[in-house]
Amino acid sequence: MLETKNLNVFYGAINALNDVSITVQPGEIVAIIGSNGAGKSTLLRTISGLIRPRSGSVSYNGKELTTLQPHEIVKLGLSHAPEGRRIFTNMTVEENLQLGAYLRKDKAGVAADMEMVLGRFPRLKERFKQNSGTMSGGEQQMLAIGRALMSRPEILLLDEPSLGLAPFLITEIFNIVKDLNADGKTVLIVEQNANRALEIAHRAYVLETGELVLQGSGQELLHDPKVKEAYLGG
Amino acid sequence: MQFNFGKWFGTRAISVIVAVLFCLLLDKVMQGPDKSYYRFLMSLAGIYVTLAVSLNLINGITGQFSIGHAAFYQIGAYTGAVLAANKFSHLAATKPLLWLFLAALFGAIAAGLAGLIVGLPSLRLKGDYLAVVTLGIGEIVTIIAKNQKSLGEAYGLSTAKIESVFLISLLAIVCIAVCRNLLKSAHGLAFLAVREDEVASAAMGVNLTRVKVTAFVLGSAFAGAAGALYAHTKAFVSPPDFSMDVSFLILTMVVLGGTGSITGTTIAAVVLFLIPEKMRDLPYVQMGTPLGVAIGIIVAVVLLRKIQESFHGSASERLGRNLGSVGIGIVVAFVMAKVLVMVPAFQSMINGALFRMPVLAVTLVVLMLLRPQGIFGHHEFSWSWVQKLLGKKSPETEVAA
Amino acid sequence: MLDLVSLNVAGLDFTTLPQQLVNGFLLGAIYALVALGYTMVYGVLKLINFAHGEVFMLGSYGAMFASWMMGFGPGGSAVAGSWVTLLLMLLMAMLVSGSAGFVIERFAYRPIRNHPRIASLITAIGLSLLLQYGGQAFLLEGKKQAITSKVNPFSDDFVFTPKKADAALVAQAAALQPEVDAAQKAFDARLPFEKSKFELSPEGDRLNKALAEITAKRDSLQNQATTSAVTIRLPKGKLIMLTTTILLMIGLWYLVMKTRMGRAMRAVSVDFNASSLMGINLNTVISFTFILGSVLAGAGAMMYSTFQSAPIDPFSGTAPGVKAFVAAVLGGIGNIPGAVVGAILMGVAENLVTWAGYSSYRDAIAFVILIAVLLFKPGGLLGSNKVEKV
Repeated sequence: MLETKNLNVFYGAINALNDVSITVQPGEIVAIIGSNGAGKSTLLRTISGLIRPRSGSVSYNGKELTTLQPHEIVKLGLSHAPEGRRIFTNMTVEENLQLGAYLRKDKAGVAADMEMVLGRFPRLKERFKQNSGTMSGGEQQMLAIGRALMSRPEILLLDEPSLGLAPFLITEIFNIVKDLNADGKTVLIVEQNANRALEIAHRAYVLETGELVLQGSGQELLHDPKVKEAYLGG
Repeated sequence: MQFNFGKWFGTRAISVIVAVLFCLLLDKVMQGPDKSYYRFLMSLAGIYVTLAVSLNLINGITGQFSIGHAAFYQIGAYTGAVLAANKFSHLAATKPLLWLFLAALFGAIAAGLAGLIVGLPSLRLKGDYLAVVTLGIGEIVTIIAKNQKSLGEAYGLSTAKIESVFLISLLAIVCIAVCRNLLKSAHGLAFLAVREDEVASAAMGVNLTRVKVTAFVLGSAFAGAAGALYAHTKAFVSPPDFSMDVSFLILTMVVLGGTGSITGTTIAAVVLFLIPEKMRDLPYVQMGTPLGVAIGIIVAVVLLRKIQESFHGSASERLGRNLGSVGIGIVVAFVMAKVLVMVPAFQSMINGALFRMPVLAVTLVVLMLLRPQGIFGHHEFSWSWVQKLLGKKSPETEVAA
Repeated sequence: MLDLVSLNVAGLDFTTLPQQLVNGFLLGAIYALVALGYTMVYGVLKLINFAHGEVFMLGSYGAMFASWMMGFGPGGSAVAGSWVTLLLMLLMAMLVSGSAGFVIERFAYRPIRNHPRIASLITAIGLSLLLQYGGQAFLLEGKKQAITSKVNPFSDDFVFTPKKADAALVAQAAALQPEVDAAQKAFDARLPFEKSKFELSPEGDRLNKALAEITAKRDSLQNQATTSAVTIRLPKGKLIMLTTTILLMIGLWYLVMKTRMGRAMRAVSVDFNASSLMGINLNTVISFTFILGSVLAGAGAMMYSTFQSAPIDPFSGTAPGVKAFVAAVLGGIGNIPGAVVGAILMGVAENLVTWAGYSSYRDAIAFVILIAVLLFKPGGLLGSNKVEKV
């Protein structure tokens, strides 16, 4: 469904991604784990068109993405909830969600999806008319995911959804991701919190200083000694 | 690295002597009643070099953007003119050179003080805001000069005529030397740190405001000194000599030469001062001609940008294509000019001198579109550079190319 | 009520103050239209569009050419304008400015959007110079033009009189009228016996002087009576101008706050990347913002040159442009209501300077305000109050 082939990305002279090839099949949760600065976010940003690779390709259902603008990629059914949430803090929760559905013309469908998102995230319902900048980090993360869902994507790219959240909130977020997947959404998730990510992932890749060093099923990697030592705290 | 004081002092002393001798020679060459026009041009060129290099100190070296440099130039000029007409008229008449030196000093002090007053509060702000404040200062100074009886109002002030190519060229050289040394010294490192990354340099203990204000005050002071010399060269100062256009002209010099490159700024100052000066004498042209040239420029710019964006071949191929684009631009300009002139609507005559400022403006815009770092970028003239250009290319330059 | 006549501070005439405040408010409304363009463009691009004043200038040329096309040009035959004339001029000004804004963004700012900001700033200055001096070469040889007042059929005034003329003074002046008449009659009766009006005999001269004296006395009283009144004149044209401005602002508010494009604009002003991840086409939104701001400037330009009778030349955009920019900074740049508040304060401040007798400094006040704002409240009146750091 989604495939990157030999992606090379440079920041100036720094090789941020080196020949990275991954695949995501429909219905999967694929996790990319690695330490800070390993290039995980760069990979997602390259897929969604925010960064242009120097070489390599990204294809989605057979369509080449590297020549497209981010907004054109959204149209194809990818939705990216960026690192640091990046919600529009000058707007209400409602407006943020409406922006998530920016490209959609079917008003009824948008309204239905709004109900769906609010049903999944009851906290957002409470804060519906509130300025989103005043919400807590967990609520903002839920808004970011909810906003990404509003475009009714086939595949959801989540960048560090657990960053800066309390453990019980992390559990909540990961449960939601699992639920979404159970409802048929494909998910590509980037996480530093390797433990949690591997628990829910069908497959996972380990990224180290821009290179893929390991891949396998979530359970395999969870019990891999090298992964255990490097990312799971021994 | 070992510091050899003797050698350091020796090179310094020789540089100073050479500079003074050079200025004296220039002064000698420019003497004589038949050379008054060239003397005037030479003086103005020196003044513009000083102005541009001093603005480069502010804009280029600290990354701060000032677009009201003419204000400090004006403050220096009026200080010199007013003092020469009142308190120091005797000195100006009896010992003109001594007075001219003092005038430059007073001009520098006045402009430097103004720079301090403006700089201290406004240099806390970054980028665009500073640009507007400096623009505002420029306007306020002009408006005050236009409305003060003691400053001659809109008409202006007359003052003693004292020409000295020697002092003007010396000022320009001193300005260049000071800026160059500031760049090289540890202080210069602080300046560059501010330009590259404010937050990081603040974290490393560089006192940002002090560095910025120092650059601003020094730059203003040099402009003030240049102003005082200008007032006596022309023997007359009036508000239009210091309008916003002058600030923009100086700015164009810095941008064209390369913000941060003193060499580039100096060359650009001479060239850009001479072009408008020469364009004053342009004949009337038919409207179609400049329009055709404009179309040619647009074509060339579009082609050059296409090459920049999508051509990844070798350097020589790229150069060939670039030259080709310029050639196409020239041909288009020529053809369009000929064709457009045949259209009755474009046959009316326009004074060619009106194109002085548009040429500057087009230079600025085209430069930003094609080479925002300026022609010289951050490069500086040095003897080793000349050697490299003349002799075999060193591996280093090949990599850079 | 405050007795304005008896107030006498530093020789200021307080009876004309209300009129000046009203004038300032009306002028400020026009500045607001221009300031909105600065503030919106800054909001999305963090760029001070120095060429905005020139977009304004082109708008006034648009309005003027429209009026010429309808026969109000030099040697034109049209006698009086109507609603339609004004509306067409307004639309033409908006069209010209809007196209100029679009072209400037598309071909000058967009190619260098990813360069350092200083490059855009220099480009903006270059464009501004190019339009000014290029206009000087190509637009009617850069000569000063004006839109004829004939286009405006609404030239009469509404007159408000918050304080009537002093009744005693009016009565005294009226009481002198018979004496003036008598003196005039006496002089007229003498006139046939004089050689001419300018070579009077002693008797004629005495009568003439008496007439002059009594007339002067009456005039002085009448004058005192008039100045004791406080009147505000509000030309109907300016009232139309104000209404149009308010309508445009309501339209803008609706557009920004309630529509899809408005939401996209606000999103882009917060976060470029996140907006594009929503599927927002940045180029479209930025183009739209430029066009919108320029169209408002064009409307402002038409009204400025028609109802305020401002002359038009290639440099005529600079002063309003700079003042509107200061207004935007004063209100907090990037903040839409701030721009309106700042602009009205600017207009009032400018008229107060004139009123206080320093009209030659009225252009300097903008910069004084600007510098004061930046010193004491760099975020502007309604903006956030942090000095830009990174």
